[in-house]
Amino acid sequence: MTDEPPDRFDVAVIGAGMAGMAAALFAAERGLSCIQVGNGGGILFASGLLDLLGVQPTAERRLWRSPYEALAALALDEPGHPLARVEVPSIRAAFETMVTCLGAAGLRYAPLGDSNRSVLTAIGTIKTTYGVPLSMVAGVEALNVRPPCLLVDFRGLREFSARQIAATLGDRWPGLRHRRIEFPGCEALPELYAAHLARALEIGETRARTIERLKPLLEDAHAVGLPAVLGLARVGEVHAAFEAGLGVPVFEIPTMPTSVPGLRLLAALESAVSARGVIRRHQATVRALAFDRDEGAATLDLEGVPGGERVVARAVVLATGRFTGRGLTADRGQVRESLLGLPVRQPVSRESWHQSDFLASSGHAINRAGLETDGAWRPLDASGKPVWPRLFAVGSILAHQDWMRSKCGSGLAIATAWAALDQVARQLGGNGAG
Amino acid sequence: MKFPISIQTQVLIIGGGVTGTALARDLALRGIDCVLVEKEDINAGASGRNHGLLHSGARYVAGDRAAAMECRSEGEILKRVAAQTIQDTGGYFVAVQGDDERYIADFASHCSRSGITARAVDIGAARALEPALSERAIAVFEVADASIDPFRLSLESMAQARSLGARLMRRTGVVGFEREGRLIRAVRVRPPGGGDELRIEAAQVVNAAGAWAREVAQLAGTPIAMTYSKGTLLVTHTRLASRVVNRLRLPGNADIMMPGGTVSIVGTTSTRVDALDDVHPTAAEADLIVEEAARMLPALATMRYIRAYAGVRPLVGAPDAADGRAVSRGFALFDHEDQGLDNLATITGGKLTTCRLMAERVADLVCRRLGVSRPCITATTPLPVAPECGWTEPGRSPREWMRSHGPHDALLCECEMVPRSAVDTIYNALRAAGDTPTLTDLGLRSRVGKGACQGTFCAPRTVAHLYQRGDFQARRGLAEIVDFFGERWRGQRPVLWGEQLAQAELMEALHCGLFGEELRDEELQHAGMPDAPRAAPEPDPADGKPS
Amino acid sequence: MSPAFFQSTLYASLALCALGLLWRVSAWFRVHIGPDARDVTFSRRVAAVFGGAASALFSLRVLRVLGTFVLDALFLRRLFANAKLRWLGHLLIVAGFTLLLLMHALAAVVSAKLLPGYQPTLYPYLLLRNLFGAMVLAGVALLLFGRWRQRRGLPQVRRPMDAAFVTLLATVLVAGFLLEGHKIASPRAFYRMAEQFSGTSDPAELKPLRAFWAREFGVAFGDLGESIDSNAVEEGRARHADACASCHSKPASAFISYPLSRALAQVTGILDSGRADIWLLYLHVLACFLGLGLLPFTRFFHAVAAPVSLLANAAARNRTQSVTVRASRRALALDACVRCGICDQQCSVAPLARYLGNPGLLPSHKLIATGELASGRILQSGHENDALRAADGAFLCTDCGRCTNYCPAGLDLEDLWIAARGDFAAEGLPAPAQWVQARPALAWAESMEVALAQHGFSDPDALFAPLSADRRSFSRCVQCQTCTNVCPVVAQGMDTEHGVDLTPQKVMNLLRLGLRDLTLGSRMVWDCATCYQCQEHCPEGVRVADIMYELRALAVHRLGSVRGLREPS
Repeated sequence: MTDEPPDRFDVAVIGAGMAGMAAALFAAERGLSCIQVGNGGGILFASGLLDLLGVQPTAERRLWRSPYEALAALALDEPGHPLARVEVPSIRAAFETMVTCLGAAGLRYAPLGDSNRSVLTAIGTIKTTYGVPLSMVAGVEALNVRPPCLLVDFRGLREFSARQIAATLGDRWPGLRHRRIEFPGCEALPELYAAHLARALEIGETRARTIERLKPLLEDAHAVGLPAVLGLARVGEVHAAFEAGLGVPVFEIPTMPTSVPGLRLLAALESAVSARGVIRRHQATVRALAFDRDEGAATLDLEGVPGGERVVARAVVLATGRFTGRGLTADRGQVRESLLGLPVRQPVSRESWHQSDFLASSGHAINRAGLETDGAWRPLDASGKPVWPRLFAVGSILAHQDWMRSKCGSGLAIATAWAALDQVARQLGGNGAG
Repeated sequence: MKFPISIQTQVLIIGGGVTGTALARDLALRGIDCVLVEKEDINAGASGRNHGLLHSGARYVAGDRAAAMECRSEGEILKRVAAQTIQDTGGYFVAVQGDDERYIADFASHCSRSGITARAVDIGAARALEPALSERAIAVFEVADASIDPFRLSLESMAQARSLGARLMRRTGVVGFEREGRLIRAVRVRPPGGGDELRIEAAQVVNAAGAWAREVAQLAGTPIAMTYSKGTLLVTHTRLASRVVNRLRLPGNADIMMPGGTVSIVGTTSTRVDALDDVHPTAAEADLIVEEAARMLPALATMRYIRAYAGVRPLVGAPDAADGRAVSRGFALFDHEDQGLDNLATITGGKLTTCRLMAERVADLVCRRLGVSRPCITATTPLPVAPECGWTEPGRSPREWMRSHGPHDALLCECEMVPRSAVDTIYNALRAAGDTPTLTDLGLRSRVGKGACQGTFCAPRTVAHLYQRGDFQARRGLAEIVDFFGERWRGQRPVLWGEQLAQAELMEALHCGLFGEELRDEELQHAGMPDAPRAAPEPDPADGKPS
Repeated sequence: MSPAFFQSTLYASLALCALGLLWRVSAWFRVHIGPDARDVTFSRRVAAVFGGAASALFSLRVLRVLGTFVLDALFLRRLFANAKLRWLGHLLIVAGFTLLLLMHALAAVVSAKLLPGYQPTLYPYLLLRNLFGAMVLAGVALLLFGRWRQRRGLPQVRRPMDAAFVTLLATVLVAGFLLEGHKIASPRAFYRMAEQFSGTSDPAELKPLRAFWAREFGVAFGDLGESIDSNAVEEGRARHADACASCHSKPASAFISYPLSRALAQVTGILDSGRADIWLLYLHVLACFLGLGLLPFTRFFHAVAAPVSLLANAAARNRTQSVTVRASRRALALDACVRCGICDQQCSVAPLARYLGNPGLLPSHKLIATGELASGRILQSGHENDALRAADGAFLCTDCGRCTNYCPAGLDLEDLWIAARGDFAAEGLPAPAQWVQARPALAWAESMEVALAQHGFSDPDALFAPLSADRRSFSRCVQCQTCTNVCPVVAQGMDTEHGVDLTPQKVMNLLRLGLRDLTLGSRMVWDCATCYQCQEHCPEGVRVADIMYELRALAVHRLGSVRGLREPS
């Protein structure tokens, strides 16, 4: 622990998943000084698609064309659902801000609009989502019209088979052809990894050779689908080069984690928050968090930085996620909140955590476990009062939601981060409008 | 009306567990033609849902001397003739503070009375060799326990039987018997996919259906008294000890920890069940095992567990105790002659360790009835190695793959490091036998899906590969993944806490959050794609494997 | 002491010092470190260095050089940044000695000329001399304290010559103070002076002066009765005023030697009769000369070499220099290392050095080993083990560059290590990577099984492999492949004929499967660039890179101990 007086911030965001990144971004957008602690691992599991709300009620597996109608339905069915507690204008503003910032950071999305979109997945299923990266958007159109199209995969990229996708949709999309090619320079390798292909495609020469191998396969294809490997930082440039080289729309299909779109999202969000002056401690974890009730400041002791570090913040946003993010941990008996041991709303016994059928419509009870908050997104202690006037919780750690079944992961993260930051700004007397 | 197709054979074996397959091999080696019908898959029942422990016999010395001595001699035989399926790990019997002093004191003499060597080991020395042993250990004995791979045993037995002309019909359930006087003229079976019934005309019928033997006998009109005892086991994420560790006491819950190659297998529980359908492990059983076994091996309390599985022990005779441990673990052979049938035999009960002996006994009866005089040679004839049968051995494929692999031989399963070539070998062997293999079949014959990710990543990779091979068409892959997870999930569910819960959350995030497998049909309609006939429904998958 | 003797010994020691300097400095151009330096001739190296120096002198860089000289050479800025205590110690010693040298040792040529009426026995020179001496003592004390405080982990290096030099310095100081203290109290000295300046040495005649000096100057006259009457003192004060005052102030300001003289007062008689004044003087002076002569042969030569290195950095046009210059810089580094040990504290493999019990992994030891390799000492028979350990040290380096960043002498240690590796390899002590990768991973694993069966390994895993032997360090892995996707080494594999044999993910899985031995000889482990991308990206906080590195260290230990398999390829 260094002896220098600790740095002071308006907001400390704990967690660097989608919700943590959104919170840090929106804090900076509101002109609040912000430090962010934690690594962005969770985002690496993302597909780059920004869900808002696709299914409601999940038990009925009802899909919605308009996420906003879905939100209205949600508000009626589950008023306690975190998304139902955010005003629609805020949600729109949050998504617009997020997509604009990502675009400025080099990860451009198609205009959002009012309706969900359907995209192809790597196993040939169809996914309902809301925000679609430009490099994938041609796939939405192709899936709507289903003209003759070509899907191409690379031998050695084990989890992506164009033939599988084509076969799975075959009887519904007769014009969907598939071909497999060797990735230039990797002819001798048994296994390929998406991120390495993406980096390789940022090199003009490799890109050109790949396009040359694709051209003769085009035939009557109106569009070409590829696994999501079209560059990392320079996805726009690489994608444009493929469309120019092939003369038809080209679209990416997200692969299994760790996916290139996940890496892009992480990079874009990191540069977006850093560019706005957010101090990032992505290798650090919070060892201790103490609240000063009178003076109204929280003290965070960080470890994982040389010599440790102590910072003071006027408000704290908890965005530590669920079990993979380690915001929640479970032993055989019960679920706990990892950092402060906050009370977690949860099913009575482990026997009732999960359904005996993995895909059961009603979903698994444990996915709706999490933190209870008051109207201002402040987690409650055992007595039902806010733990601390300026401790807020956002994202998947919140109770009363099952983002995996509702297809609302990004929506949950972005919307609750926005709403919570409204409260932060209000409480710190900052500019609530952002 | 059209007449059902008939198949003729000398002996029909019902049930493809360790006993049924050992019997098929025994008969085939005696030159007798036989057909084996199995309603699910090889070792789908208790044969595949046990510790995989080759008992030294010491576990039964006090309660069941006969079983103990059978175990001893059969264990020695299998170590000779089926060495490739056995890892001679050796075993410890460990008592901890609070265990019955009397039992500990008498243990050695009990063993010697059954001709079993149990060497007292200095506790310090034992803990030096097995650091995981509890500090509270008060007595340690070394015995000749070993670990055996029941899948490889059954698969290679069946493989040899087939090479000698025996026929295997998987996913073929018995639906009825055609009796004529004191004889069964034919057995009616339902082939895979629920097609038209077949008639199998056999001179002799052997009911080796394990826990299902009661139902089969019922169908034949010759009821037998049997009860069921459900046993649950847990699989750890990493291997905790290199020896078998038994609790030194009268058999009770969570007494045994097996080194299952690269993992450890802990169990079991024993609870009476009356029905056989939907037997699956529960969270309560998992807790009981963790708490009880941690008294021998404290690390088990903090270990990451990747799955659980439950099997049903067929116990012959009427039980008194509720948990059925009192009932003999010895086997029973019924000739049914006093019930008015001269060509049906039922072999059930017993244990994995004694499966060869059980097969020998029933084969002898069948031969006598057939007037065949050739003796049993399974006690002396080595079990041939079959290339497609070795892949259930944990830790084998990494070595093989690192020894040498083809230029494009990628790993499909990272956790257990199963390469494409292994999957191809297994798949091709099944196809060669005129079978249509499923993802679950591959799982049963390899380590695919048995690692930490429980199929999250390897199932899609394997399916993608099978599409690429041209073996899967249309939406079959999707159905296979769903079936596979359905089966894996029942095993994962009871151990979902700590790290494995995070793993399961990632599995759901990927397969529901991204792939939306639970919406695979709704999404099609939503995207305006007219619904088309789904891929043919897959038969019920086999359940968990002993690692 | 006769001036002739003084002169001759002085020149002798100066000559010795000069020779030493010449020999040490010439080594900077003679010694070859690194294969690339081998064919750079002496003359080319001299030319390159002096050419560079000249070009620096006649460019604006000269300002930077000056700045460096003041801040880094004189005021030891880099040391200040890293170790305040040690900085203070050094500064005290250097300043103390320099000032003593100028004011005291070189009094004839400096003080006498600059300070009108300078007399060593006058105030404030008495005070200052003691002060400077005290500074040196304080500095030494601080350094000793510092050494004692960081005396943990692995042993420091020591050489007899250095110890001798330190003893000499101590002698100079102690003898100096004793001499001064003795002279203050000595009646013999008093009479000699009286003889010289007031023409008489008759005690009776000198009674008043003696009385005055006894009271005011603390001369310890044995025969001067108990009581001193004040009239005599007053008379003595007058005699003092016109005979002595011009050269003598009250010694009380000599805050070290005056109290010393009080202590010696009891034994003055004995000391006087034993002519302590003479032999203390000889001791003092000869120790000075000997120290001067020895300086270049001790590691305290860094007092010269380190500033040179710092100035050279400042003079250099850019960070990367031609091999001709680097050849000399490497040799210079051997002398310029101040043995401060900061590099050892910062070294990212320090923990491993402890696990492996091989200090040869630490920069300070590597530097010495490099020197011994250059001089061929380490290759002599009987040193095979040292050589192997030194080679492992040279190669088990993450090239993290911390040592270079923190070195107060501004040495480019990274360059030195890389050069040293070349030399070790050339001497048939190749990188572990070479002899390990001469056989495939599985072959290693199998030969280890045999070896294990035969004689086992003496490595309690908790000590040698705290991470790879502990299931908790990888049980969080969720198989997401992030480590592999961000791994630049695996990415490199894309262009080669055959990629790495394993991926980071596969290594973690082999650990999980209890097949660690399969990883030890794997190309993945040995090609790992320890760039820490995997570790920084791992969503579950698995310390992938640390584990990789640990496996490499474990491999060196284990595979190295498999008999007959560690032949240099």
